[in-house]
Amino acid sequence: MASNVVMPKLGNTVDSCIILDWKVREGDTVSQGDVLCEAETDKSTVEVESTASGVVLQILYGPGEEVPVMQPIAIIGEKGEQFVLSETASAKQEEQEKETVQKQSKPVVDRMPSKSAVSPRARKTAQEKAIDIASLDIQGSGAKGRVIERDVLAAVQSGVRLTPAARQVVAESGLNVPTQGTGIGGRILVSDVLAQNKPIQKTDEEFPGPYVETYLKGVRKVTAKRMHESIATTAQLTIHAYARATALQTLRSRFKQSDERWALKNVTINDMLLFAVSRTLLRFPALNSHFLGDRLVSFDHVHLGCAVDTEKGLYVPVIRYADTRTLRSLSEETKRLASLCNEGKAGPEQLSGGTFTVTNLGPFGVESFTPIVNIPEVAILGIGTITMRPIMGDNDEVSFVPHIGLSLTIDHQAVDGAPAARFLSSLCEAIASFDLLLAQ
Amino acid sequence: MAQYDLIVIGSGPGGYVAAERAGRMGKKVLLIERDQLGGVCTNHGCIPTKSLLNAAKLYRHARESQAMGIVAQSVSFDLATAMAWKRQTVETLRNGIQFLVKSAKVDVVFGEAQCIDPHRVAVGETIYDGKYLIVATGSSPAIPPIQGVDLPHVLTSDDILEIDSIPDSLVIIGGGVIGIEFASFFSSLGTKVSVIEMLDEIVPLMDVEFAKLLRRDMKGVEFYLGCTVKAIDKDGVHFVDAKGKSTTIAAELVLLSVGRRPNLSALEQLDLAVDRTGVIVDERMRTNIPNVYAIGDVNGRSLLAHSASRMAEVAVSNIFGTDRQRMRYHAIPWAVYGIPEAAGCGLTEQEGNKSARNIVTATTQMRANGRFLAEQGKRSAGLCKVVVDAQTQAIVGIHLLGPYSSEIIWGAAALIEAELRVQDVQEIVFPHPSVSEVIKDTIMALAANKT
Repeated sequence: MASNVVMPKLGNTVDSCIILDWKVREGDTVSQGDVLCEAETDKSTVEVESTASGVVLQILYGPGEEVPVMQPIAIIGEKGEQFVLSETASAKQEEQEKETVQKQSKPVVDRMPSKSAVSPRARKTAQEKAIDIASLDIQGSGAKGRVIERDVLAAVQSGVRLTPAARQVVAESGLNVPTQGTGIGGRILVSDVLAQNKPIQKTDEEFPGPYVETYLKGVRKVTAKRMHESIATTAQLTIHAYARATALQTLRSRFKQSDERWALKNVTINDMLLFAVSRTLLRFPALNSHFLGDRLVSFDHVHLGCAVDTEKGLYVPVIRYADTRTLRSLSEETKRLASLCNEGKAGPEQLSGGTFTVTNLGPFGVESFTPIVNIPEVAILGIGTITMRPIMGDNDEVSFVPHIGLSLTIDHQAVDGAPAARFLSSLCEAIASFDLLLAQ
Repeated sequence: MAQYDLIVIGSGPGGYVAAERAGRMGKKVLLIERDQLGGVCTNHGCIPTKSLLNAAKLYRHARESQAMGIVAQSVSFDLATAMAWKRQTVETLRNGIQFLVKSAKVDVVFGEAQCIDPHRVAVGETIYDGKYLIVATGSSPAIPPIQGVDLPHVLTSDDILEIDSIPDSLVIIGGGVIGIEFASFFSSLGTKVSVIEMLDEIVPLMDVEFAKLLRRDMKGVEFYLGCTVKAIDKDGVHFVDAKGKSTTIAAELVLLSVGRRPNLSALEQLDLAVDRTGVIVDERMRTNIPNVYAIGDVNGRSLLAHSASRMAEVAVSNIFGTDRQRMRYHAIPWAVYGIPEAAGCGLTEQEGNKSARNIVTATTQMRANGRFLAEQGKRSAGLCKVVVDAQTQAIVGIHLLGPYSSEIIWGAAALIEAELRVQDVQEIVFPHPSVSEVIKDTIMALAANKT
């Protein structure tokens, strides 16, 4: 009975291995424990032993091919024995055949191996041996031209890349050898070695693995600075509540179905919440304020910041005089500002002067969260998604009513918990009776 | 509007090399030149002066080689013929450059270039559009703000190459490379030459010991060091020395060779970052404008023709090829083609002492060298100094004074670029007899000192 030899699992983090060299050929007789082939993981080279005794009936992967662990790599049985490839193995064979056809028809374009076509172990060896893979015009000998360890070792032997003086400095100082030199033909000079003087670097490749470094700029940099400044200079406290959203939902579907001439089709629930906030805030000037360290500046009007997620990052355009706008005007202005931000055309005029900010993570299914105050404002309202909440009726019957999550973060330096809670409670009422609020 | 991959302004040893390299890469290249192909190097600098200096050297050898058995009577120097030879040389080389750029399929336009923006360059009425721009506009002789510099007998190095008679007296203001070469030339022809230098020593890039020896060996030339020129008039050049003493030297001709200034007029409409020496570039020749590169004298980093050519290669490589090419300045050889010649590469002893690294030096006299002694005799000036890094023993500087120096010095560049150490150079065989052996002998002295 033929049996499969599989690629062993060589560690918890190893998903696949590259076969380097077969030590046996089809037709060879092997015993259990004999070495069948050498394989390369990102950490080591291992010998794969036969798990059965008999004749090697078929070798399923050639040298240089990457094989997922636990995948059959060879079939061992009695000489002349008919065998059926296991499902995965036959799938693999079909794929291989397909690939061969494709390979034949595909013209060779790129001679230089791309970055991904280097095995992790080869990359690690290259780093140890101070070989800059990209600078070598080597064609990998692995599958599809993949550069594997032996290619790197061959390159090490063929090239002298350190100048005599640099080699001496390396030998005397124990400094690491940089992978790139700035001398003739990329030779590594003494200055390159000294510039590279970062002794602890060896484990870079193993853990945490490859990474991308992106220097902060633009909106990201500003946001980073502002957020840290906010947390570092305020005493933030977040309180949560849920507001009945039935009125919002009813009105929203009315707007949707309304005739074009009302121009209300695009008014969203978010717009209604902005409207409710702008009206409620008028009764709570302490929350419509700037905290300036030694004094509190409370504003007569509400200039509502509204967080907008764009490709470039977070923008908070300000809806000026939100408290004086009709719901439709507020909705239109919100959309106008959001599209300015998305186009990257929003300037300081649109992005400054807010007295209170609203941020909405509802569309992502978030119920409640802890927004960060947009200083020097003293409060920010986070809007969550609408969920069904059980409400017990007058006769002890339970019904499920849609509620929207509200998270209010305040700067406790400027506002206390109770007034904040009063504001939030009033806001919940306003939202629950949004149709009435609108008529006010 | 014509579309180019690359527009190069200026066809000196920076510009034409850049254009030619890019052209050979199959790029569509435009080369703009306001004067003649080859720039200052070919037309008003390196080449014409070498032609004249060699004539002067032959003339001098003819008159001064009695000790070797040469008795030459009624030897004379005909300036017109020497100038014709020079002209012919320049024309031949210019034609060579023309052939070179043409075979690289580079379009050449003659006229004053004016950059409109980083992608557009106007020449007269025509506007050319280029993806990349290499500025190689070179430099011009600096005119110091001295009263009388506009007098007709006050010349720059450009003008003095076109004179039609040998002056009886010449005052050279500025003892740099250009000043010293002209001093050698004219003093060899019998002109009474005086050199006025503001610094304490001539040729600032040269090892002080060598500069001193060179000065002493230029017997026909009077040197006034640490002196400031106050005015020039028809009586002569008026200057004061460090102690405030005023002197006047009469001069039929005055040569201004106080340095060179970058030619920036074509670039006025670009917002190029510029410092005292020229357009600011990084080691890849990039300016502050992403598609604009600046090479050669206009960036002021190294005012040498061969530096410009290397910068051209670096710039073109960075634009169209790999970004791995960088300009290295630590091993650029230079030469002064005076009589005698001097050449150097890398750190001088003075620079080494000022830097953080520890250095060791050795100096040998050339008269210990077989060929030098055979040809020059034991009284001639000749020196070799080698500077090595004390820690690694790597060669970091080599300086030569004596015949053939300019032809030998490239070897120093190779040793320094390769960071070879004293013990490595010991394994290299130098030809015997040759003046170049002096380098190995000096390095051997360092090895002996060590053990």
